[in-house]
Amino acid sequence: MLAAGDVEMVLFTIQIALLGTALNLVPGTAAALFLARYRGPGKEAIETVLSLPLVLPPTAVGILLLRALARRGLLGTLLGDLGIEIVFTWKAVLLATMVMSFPLLVRSARTAFEEVDPRLVGIARTLGCGPARAFFRVTLPLAWRGILAGSVLAFSRALGEFGATVMVAGNIPGRTQTLPLAIFHYDQIGRDDRALALVGVTVVLAFVALWSAELVSRRRSGRTAA
Amino acid sequence: MRGMNAGIRAIALGLTLLLPGRAVAEEVVILAATSLTDALREIGEGYEATSGNHLTFNFGASNDLARQIRAGAPADVFFSADLAQMEGLEREGLVRRADRLDVLSNLLSAIVPVGSTLDIRGPRDLLEVKYLALASPEAVPAGVYAKRYLESIGLWDDIKAKVVPTLDVRATLAAVEAGHADAGIVYRTDAALSKRVRTAFDVPRGQGPPIVYPLAPIATSKRGEAAAAVVRYLVGPEALAVYQRFGFLVILGR
Repeated sequence: MLAAGDVEMVLFTIQIALLGTALNLVPGTAAALFLARYRGPGKEAIETVLSLPLVLPPTAVGILLLRALARRGLLGTLLGDLGIEIVFTWKAVLLATMVMSFPLLVRSARTAFEEVDPRLVGIARTLGCGPARAFFRVTLPLAWRGILAGSVLAFSRALGEFGATVMVAGNIPGRTQTLPLAIFHYDQIGRDDRALALVGVTVVLAFVALWSAELVSRRRSGRTAA
Repeated sequence: MRGMNAGIRAIALGLTLLLPGRAVAEEVVILAATSLTDALREIGEGYEATSGNHLTFNFGASNDLARQIRAGAPADVFFSADLAQMEGLEREGLVRRADRLDVLSNLLSAIVPVGSTLDIRGPRDLLEVKYLALASPEAVPAGVYAKRYLESIGLWDDIKAKVVPTLDVRATLAAVEAGHADAGIVYRTDAALSKRVRTAFDVPRGQGPPIVYPLAPIATSKRGEAAAAVVRYLVGPEALAVYQRFGFLVILGR
């Protein structure tokens, strides 16, 4: 059912989505914690900027990335001098999916952090926990389900990223082509059978991702309650 | 220039959407290969001025346009950049063979960005580029032709890993203009339109694959007469002069 190369392409897509989510995890959690705790000026502005990729057309994000990273772009020239090329490579796919999925992780994790009762953290501190210890022993255990939910959302978004990816990474079979790009490609060349086979794969992937996240969070919450 | 045109088009589209159904004599929808964009726009203006009818163009890669026609998209006339797409529609009864006119031909050109330091004088030099932009060689006519040419000279296997496929031939041009790709292969007529690329070499006539642009009314069109009239205009003397000015080769009647 899947054509030659499609299996590798699917694995590539999963790898990119996993790697992107993993790389987003620490900065995304940090940003979420910052937004949940920060009360100073410019909070709304920072929130808005961080959420922009969620509401901008992906192609708009794509063109901005392309402008920055292209060989004659601002960052592209710099990276080019270092011998790093991004446009049309897997790195561009990774970057596009990371940028597009980052806000989903942040939003979900932020809500989770906001739901942590600050008094609990306060008590931990009065009992002698340092800020780091209080975070890892109190805040994170209480908020981790929201972070996981955000990660799954971000992972699923990364699996499906199309607009920004196609602009910075192109649609190169065997190199930068991911699942959604391959579906589009097969449709364009009139191979609906292959496109539909890949649609099946995406449905399965999304299902597995959401379902396993549900399972994990259920089991863990049961154990905490016990 | 192009950006400005796009802006004007966007405003025009917005205004059109605001207007309640204008009293248009008749509207004919033409699906045409992207490489024909500029020539057909100019010809279309002439036609609208003389006939009072309104033309709506939908430019795209011919394979995608054929797909749209199969899917039942509103279309009255199809101007393809290769025979394969037109013949596919003929087999499905969407175009009548007897109505088809093979109107134009074209040549392939290898292009590089204007500031390129690469010394590309012939096809073998293309092996030195990192990225070669081609319209998707699996289906888009310009890419199919380019692939056939590179195969015929035994270079395809060595070059295919460098290929960055694009949606259509104008996207190939844009990728080279922006310098995202080091070189590209487009039609000679596309290369001539851009000041930001220069032609590295032309594929001489007879060395590249035969390029044919067939034109036909769509059999399922509800405006058969108007479509036939548009086809007649598109092969009339005014139109032929415009194609030639843009660099197309007229093969009609040969």
